[in-house]
Amino acid sequence: MAEPEFRSSVTTLSATPEGVPALADESALTKVSVRAQVGASPLGVDFTRTARRGGVLIAGIRPDEWLLLGSANDVEALLVTAQFDASVNRIDVTHSRLCLRLTGVRSASVLEKVCSLDFDDMMFPNGATGSASVAKVSSDLIRDDIGDEPSYLLLADRSFGQYLYDAIHDATTEFADSP
Amino acid sequence: MYRSDTHGMVDFSEDVSSKDLVSAAAEGFDSVELVKRFTTATMGPSQGKLETVNTVAVLAEARGETIEEVGTTVWRPPYAPISLGALAGRIFEPVRVSSLHEWHSDHNMTPILAGQWIRPEHYGDPSAEVTNVRTNVGIIDVTPLGKLDLRGSDVPKLLNLLYTNKWSKLPIGRVRYGMMCAEDGVVLDDGVTGRLDQDHYLMTTTSSGAGQIWQWVEMWLQTEHPDWKVHVTPVTSGFTSINIAGPKSRELLMRLVDDVDLSAEAFEYMNVRTGTIAGVGDCFMWRIGFTGELSFEVHVPAGFGLHVWEQLLEKGADLGVGPFGLEAQRIMRLEKGHFIVGQDTDGLTKAPSTGLSTLIKLDKDDFAGKPELEWALGPEAPELPVLVAIAPTDPRLVPDEACQILREGTTEIVGRITSSRFSPSLQRSICLGQVAPEFAAPGTILTVRLCDGSDATATVMEHHAHFDPEGVRLCG
Repeated sequence: MAEPEFRSSVTTLSATPEGVPALADESALTKVSVRAQVGASPLGVDFTRTARRGGVLIAGIRPDEWLLLGSANDVEALLVTAQFDASVNRIDVTHSRLCLRLTGVRSASVLEKVCSLDFDDMMFPNGATGSASVAKVSSDLIRDDIGDEPSYLLLADRSFGQYLYDAIHDATTEFADSP
Repeated sequence: MYRSDTHGMVDFSEDVSSKDLVSAAAEGFDSVELVKRFTTATMGPSQGKLETVNTVAVLAEARGETIEEVGTTVWRPPYAPISLGALAGRIFEPVRVSSLHEWHSDHNMTPILAGQWIRPEHYGDPSAEVTNVRTNVGIIDVTPLGKLDLRGSDVPKLLNLLYTNKWSKLPIGRVRYGMMCAEDGVVLDDGVTGRLDQDHYLMTTTSSGAGQIWQWVEMWLQTEHPDWKVHVTPVTSGFTSINIAGPKSRELLMRLVDDVDLSAEAFEYMNVRTGTIAGVGDCFMWRIGFTGELSFEVHVPAGFGLHVWEQLLEKGADLGVGPFGLEAQRIMRLEKGHFIVGQDTDGLTKAPSTGLSTLIKLDKDDFAGKPELEWALGPEAPELPVLVAIAPTDPRLVPDEACQILREGTTEIVGRITSSRFSPSLQRSICLGQVAPEFAAPGTILTVRLCDGSDATATVMEHHAHFDPEGVRLCG
């Protein structure tokens, strides 16, 4: 029997023109949602903020929800050490959530084409999270810079994968270098 | 005929009455362009769509001329309202697809848009797809089926509140059907919920109701019961959902599952198991059926959905396995008399009309819609329509859905056809419909007014199910 192979909902990738922010599909990352009572802080990360711990990005995406992103081993290791009490639930949403990463100096300008959040550095600095409509799809956005380069993770329902990829890719093309 | 005896409003946007138009004409503003600018008739948000004809007619009467002689004002494009985005920007129209979408597209899918989802309506011949399910085994992609992951010690309280029936004693590994009502007792949604572990449940909703029910659940939790220990996570597209239906469905699934005993004795109807399918772990398998056949609904982590789908087709080739689409599913559910919320019910259909009054447990402390349903089932109950199965006298005649049912010899409407198809299994037309209670008794002859204005007769059936009313085939 053939071995199962994870398949993203983004099935067709487009070429990135010269000079535009790079759009990558990171849907294969392990993603675990940690849910607790409102006001609790089982991971020590505030709502709308992120932290990195042992290779895992922890994002406070709602007052009672944190999203863990990383390799399967790293996420599992973190969950083992976290020792949550019985009121905390963890749900693997790897297969539920699309994850795109947009990286490049003009990423914020691209996102502003498809989303009404203010992505200015003052309003949405590295380590910030937010939820908003992106191209009319309810999405979570996480600023997770790579070195000095601005980088944003976008998480949304898996079924919108190709649609969202195409919509954001289309928004990037305006920023291509002139020939 | 274009105004009342006492005059009255002609332009509801601009508050212009016919008296204003007559006065304007009397003052000399008697050309159609002048009367428009003087009174502002036709210049409001409706831009003449509703009021132009009446405005011109009233002016014609005032001038003692015909409408044709008066003429109309000059219309400039756009004639219909249009957003700036349509002229100067990209319009975002999100669409959703399952993990099997590319496979469907490569295999002769005729697509249908169901809400935001693009789904296979059929793969060429829905009747043949029905026959294959009834004879062999078929598989259908039912990923859009709403799925909510429910965790926490208070989930039974939540289920008791949302559904009309009881949930406190649902054992682990069991699945139960439930119907949800709004607070006015009108059917809101239905589906099955399974208990996967001590404090872990999976709720399914209708495909079209998935988003609404998630909001409904969160509304109750956040506004009425924030103290309840329940976490709700929508996982609709996190699982590729596949229904494997037909007399050979068990044999097919057994070829791909090693760690769950799928025998009829070990895995009974309305049970759920967690196991590995084609090497993919953490899959849920439900013994339920919408088609009336022995069937297994499997929910596979979506990233591996295509793998399992292709394995089902490969391993079941000698069993005659084939895909079937929404149309075949709709035919088979109608053969079995299963109603669809929103199709066979409407915004006024209270739960007792569905014929499932046994699922309304008024001895529960409370549930959404209970006061209205107590009244609807009490001594002062109103005469509610009744959902019945209907067989047209002419077996080849399939009345259009929404055809009215009349009291014989009159034009009094006493019901309507809510679903209709030609049944390949029974070789006759089959319908569901809502009728007034006096027409609901089995054997009652109904008069159906067809779209061409002619009448046809039809008979109320004894059961909702036209096909296999005893449910023998479900057991395999």
